[in-house]
Amino acid sequence: MIIGVFFQLVFITGTSVMADEYSLLRQQMVDGIEEDVEITSKYIDKKSFDPAVIQAMNTVPRHQFVPEYLRTQAYQNRPLPIGHGQTISQPYIVALMTDLLQPQPGQRVLEIGTGSGYQAAVLSHLVAQVYSIEIIEELGEATSQLLKRQGYDNVSTRIADGYDGWPQHAPFDSIMVTAAISHIPPPLVQQLKKGGRMVIPVGTRFQTQYLTLVEKDMRGEITTRQLLPVVFVPFTGGH
Amino acid sequence: MSALAAKQTPTPPLVSIFILSAAALAYEVLLIRLFSIVHWHHFAFMVISIALLGYGASGSLITVFQRRLLDNYDHVFIINILLFGLSSIVCFVAVQQLPFNALEILWDSSQWQRLLLSYLLLTLPFFFVANAIALTIMRFHQQVPLVYGTDLIGAGVGALLVMLLLLEFSPDKLLRILAIGGLAAGLFALHALSDRQKVLTVSIIVLCMLTIVMTPQQWLALRMSEYKGLSQTLLIKDVSLRLSHNSPISQTDVIHSPFIPFRHAPGLSLQSPAAPPEQLAVFRDGDEMNTIDHVTDNSSLEYHDYMSSSLPYHVHNAAKNTLVLASATGTQILQAHFHGIPRIDAVEPDEQLSLLITDRYADYFGWQNLKDKVSIQTISARGFAAAENHYDLVIMGPSGASAGGAAGVHALSTSYDYTVEALDSYLKLLAPEGLLSITLWTSTPARGNLKLFATAVAAMKNAGISHPEKNIAWIRSWNTATLILKNSELTAEEIRRVRDFSQARSFDLAWLPGIKRDEVNKFQLLQEPVFYLAAQSLLQQSLSAQSTSTGEENSFIRQYKYDIHAATDNRPYFNNYFRWSSLEELLSLPGQAGISMIGVGYPTLLVTLVQAAAAASVLILLPLVFVKTDKKQDGRRSDIIIYFFAIGLAFLFIELAFIQKFTLILSQPLYAVAVALCAFLIFSGLGSLYVQRTIMTGSKIIIPFILRRSVILIGLITVCYIVLLPLISSTIMSLPEIIRIASAFVLAAPLAFVMGMPFPVGIAILQQTRPHFIPWAWGINGCASVLSAILAVLLAIDIGFNGVMLCAVVLYFVAWFSQTKNSA
Repeated sequence: MIIGVFFQLVFITGTSVMADEYSLLRQQMVDGIEEDVEITSKYIDKKSFDPAVIQAMNTVPRHQFVPEYLRTQAYQNRPLPIGHGQTISQPYIVALMTDLLQPQPGQRVLEIGTGSGYQAAVLSHLVAQVYSIEIIEELGEATSQLLKRQGYDNVSTRIADGYDGWPQHAPFDSIMVTAAISHIPPPLVQQLKKGGRMVIPVGTRFQTQYLTLVEKDMRGEITTRQLLPVVFVPFTGGH
Repeated sequence: MSALAAKQTPTPPLVSIFILSAAALAYEVLLIRLFSIVHWHHFAFMVISIALLGYGASGSLITVFQRRLLDNYDHVFIINILLFGLSSIVCFVAVQQLPFNALEILWDSSQWQRLLLSYLLLTLPFFFVANAIALTIMRFHQQVPLVYGTDLIGAGVGALLVMLLLLEFSPDKLLRILAIGGLAAGLFALHALSDRQKVLTVSIIVLCMLTIVMTPQQWLALRMSEYKGLSQTLLIKDVSLRLSHNSPISQTDVIHSPFIPFRHAPGLSLQSPAAPPEQLAVFRDGDEMNTIDHVTDNSSLEYHDYMSSSLPYHVHNAAKNTLVLASATGTQILQAHFHGIPRIDAVEPDEQLSLLITDRYADYFGWQNLKDKVSIQTISARGFAAAENHYDLVIMGPSGASAGGAAGVHALSTSYDYTVEALDSYLKLLAPEGLLSITLWTSTPARGNLKLFATAVAAMKNAGISHPEKNIAWIRSWNTATLILKNSELTAEEIRRVRDFSQARSFDLAWLPGIKRDEVNKFQLLQEPVFYLAAQSLLQQSLSAQSTSTGEENSFIRQYKYDIHAATDNRPYFNNYFRWSSLEELLSLPGQAGISMIGVGYPTLLVTLVQAAAAASVLILLPLVFVKTDKKQDGRRSDIIIYFFAIGLAFLFIELAFIQKFTLILSQPLYAVAVALCAFLIFSGLGSLYVQRTIMTGSKIIIPFILRRSVILIGLITVCYIVLLPLISSTIMSLPEIIRIASAFVLAAPLAFVMGMPFPVGIAILQQTRPHFIPWAWGINGCASVLSAILAVLLAIDIGFNGVMLCAVVLYFVAWFSQTKNSA
């Protein structure tokens, strides 16, 4: 009995120490993101991301969304492989894409490409409901269970073709498309609310080359905007 | 050496050398193919380049241990053959086990360790081959030209053989065949062994062959990177691999996905009421996805009208015939068909792609309804453009997936389809009022499309069009841009049609005659209207007679962060945008992000050069630490380095330049590589044999004269070719294929023949003065060959292939001058 209590105490203490360590690493990660934003503030017309986005980044336990053998690297500002030829995006890119969506409480967001579930988890802290679609069955099911275990009850997932969106829950305030596409799917544009935003990163799994921001104005007209992740911006100043 | 000479057998094992050299060169080509499938082509190039330093390592080892190795030559020779055969399989299997991810190399330092281990493993087979050949050169030092000539001829035959074998066998199966072939070389080197040793050796060789035959196929199966498009597609529910076909240039895989349609439609307008029909995906080397539409009726093709590439059909709405260049899997053919073009000619250099739509998936593609009005020829766009035909529309569409171009994967690939001379020849194909339309993927920041515009303006100037700004229309979608060129001015009606087409589909105007700045950048917003600014600047310069006459560089091109100079046949690197002036800024960007702005191709080449140079320096200098030399007797050693390094660089410079020249003549890169390698190696081998005959029949005094004569001839022939080849190319490009191939052989013969002389002559000079340095010279030459392949590309990007050939001439003269003292 005493031995059992002893081991339980050791386990609890150990877990608590680990949690503190991750919390510290997470804070360092967020500090790093904020520094990057400051360095390039003159190129993005803002000195910081939305505090709510930063808060969400500081809350979500990123280490839970990476394979166990990579947990020590979870809070480094880099993408990591998660299996199935997929990656969990660089924290900086996640923060940037989330900030571009301008998420607000009460909104509904559609994500195409659930992947690790990390992006959905970040969004779940900022909006009312996240709908996330994954194309790879095995990955989608594993991530769905992980999100449930982590208590992200406002994230709904399904295995389906993201091209068609999720008409049953449309329209959406914003849409995140992390799948490779040759054109912007018209069904997604239709399911985007007037005044809504869609973000599409373009590049390889380990290098986001640029982001496309699709905006639907209040008249329903569409414009797209090509954005470089801010770390690239100095290169494009002038020509 | 006298002790060695006493043991010398009368003839070198020439059959073994021939087979071994053929197997080694075939293995080298095969590895590039294998790693292009598993990873990406530029990484394949890097890994194999470094692995070839096995030749340099061999030279160093033999320099240090030459006496001991030569004393046991017969055994060491066979052992090295055995080790080549075995290691060619084992090392490849071992490398496949390494969890190396090329894409992660900038983020994860452990990837560098895995890459280093890959280098070391793949170096081994080449190291063993080089040992066998270098020791034979040492052992039969009186017959060096004979051995060297046999080595070259064997390699030439190997180059041709591997291309033929790749038509029949998949790369993983061919790996076994080459390993067994390499082992077979040992069976022809038994004459010096005792009967008992012969039996034992044959038993071992046969056992090794059986082991290779019995190796489980799954060990050799290619483990494609999980980040390649094909790997990821195969993870999707219910996806099936319909067809996998290998050719010497690519692996083609056809995929069917009933659950998640591919819906490939580059730059489809957001206004499109139609979506793509069901499609089959066609991957080349696991990436570069094209699609085959499932054509049921004309309505299934309606989406084609909502892509920017549809513009020419609206501008010239009475076109009677269309030429589709690089038709791939037929997307542009269907677009022309949808617009009711009565006659469609198409050209595609990769016959496998054409056969997919005309044979294997003919019903799926609806070929039955097309075959009466569509003809597809297997030839490159340039090859076809040399003929005298005329079309109302000449179309080039975007090919493959978009990521490759932006990621710079193709930066090192030459393309003769997008040069000034190419566009000039396409313009000549146009009927009066005809249109040339080229659609490319876009990237951010813009680069490829701007380079295309600069190339188009230069081509129009070449064609004598004095006001190109009145003959050009340019529009862009979210991720594609379509450029239209006309030999005469666009009419007001045509301009109106461009505006209407773009407005209806929310495409942006980038250039039109009379366009204003406030008309551009409306739908797909860029930070700056860079397409319009580039067009305006480039066209303004074309109007300036002064700047044209002085050759003053356009300020926009000069200041732009990427190299967007017009591509030419001499510098056909359309996909390379790297400029040195931007390197420092890019590398200083936070988070290592700069590298993706440059594109991975050029940096990979630079890294490869640095690695190869460092390794080569060690391999060249290391033996000097261990070898005790008599300074008085040996004199300077720098002349050995200069001579063998210079001819090693120069040989490959010319050979690689000719591969490029032949690409234009033969229309097929594959034929160009096969013919150039085969012709250069075989004729050089014959040149080496000629040296042997001359030395055998004449006095040793003749050696310096052979060197002088060969270097002067190399210089003269090369300069003649630089001047005459463009003329010769344009004359024979439209001749039948067999005549073009024969012409290429004839063109290569005289130059290759004399290029085969400097190496055996250098060895002969060395043998007279410092024979113990022969393996060192062999190693130096090997190291130089590796560096040469990398340097040639770097130089060609900046100074063009003619410049590379001139550099080779200079190097041959440098080599000659370095030997004037010794040969005197």
